[in-house]
Amino acid sequence: MKTKMDFPAINDRRPEGLKEDGTPYRVLIVDDSMFVTKQIGQILTSEGFEIAGIASDGQEAIDKYKELYPNVDLVTMDITMPKMDGVTALEKIMEFDKNAKVVMISALGKQDLVKKSLLLGAKNYIVKPLDRKKVLERIVMSLKK
Amino acid sequence: MRVEYINPFVESAYNVLKEVLNCQVSRGELYLKSTSTPVLGVAALVGLAGDVEGRILFDMSKETAIKVASVMNGEELKELDDLAKATITELANMITAQAVTKLHDLGFKFDLTPPAIFTGDNMEVTTAEVEALIVPMVIPYGKVEINVAIRERL
Repeated sequence: MKTKMDFPAINDRRPEGLKEDGTPYRVLIVDDSMFVTKQIGQILTSEGFEIAGIASDGQEAIDKYKELYPNVDLVTMDITMPKMDGVTALEKIMEFDKNAKVVMISALGKQDLVKKSLLLGAKNYIVKPLDRKKVLERIVMSLKK
Repeated sequence: MRVEYINPFVESAYNVLKEVLNCQVSRGELYLKSTSTPVLGVAALVGLAGDVEGRILFDMSKETAIKVASVMNGEELKELDDLAKATITELANMITAQAVTKLHDLGFKFDLTPPAIFTGDNMEVTTAEVEALIVPMVIPYGKVEINVAIRERL
């Protein structure tokens, strides 16, 4: 008898980062802090997501999005960044692709900007400090919207 | 300096350190300094300007900074490299954001500068005409001093 048969299958949940067809969701991470970029990247790759690209300011985010499009499923967008902030970049990305899925990453105390982003078409937001559960939950929810 | 300016920083430093490092945090004895204060080795400085003005310094030894950054990154960092500095900057950002939200709720309006990281030996900080309140936070990796010098705009 195969040992496998003796145990209930508890681990056959599909990783959150994979689509129905088994290919990974592709995410563009936008943040000016190397630490946050790395943190989000680690959380996402551990669940099977693919990091399609990284940008460290708003302008770079728009350029990268256009370059990757249509092979990008979601963007995580920091709000406070040099050169161009995340809200402006969100607006421009939505102009380019009205179906873009953008999740805002915000420090506490930026409620007004978060509200504005949601009105502009952001699918969801995550308030720092980031934790694994919060990040995955919000991102998965946004992909299903 | 009015104590209501420092309390939000102490509370949020306590909360954020506890949350991101997942460890015990205890508050050391608070003290006031009107002359130069020594800097422990790695300091993240955030400036404030508005109804109140001044600066906050998150100060720790280089060893503590490296350990804190290692825990936050989930990997052993050997030196205070760019990633470690970005991590300490982010820590300062998180603490400041939480404190500032509380101060805004109390009715104070002001802007912040992005944190700047200073590193080196034998440094001192002097804030002319404003006393600095210092609250040491003791964590298993050493101590982090929250050094606040803020006054109402004249």
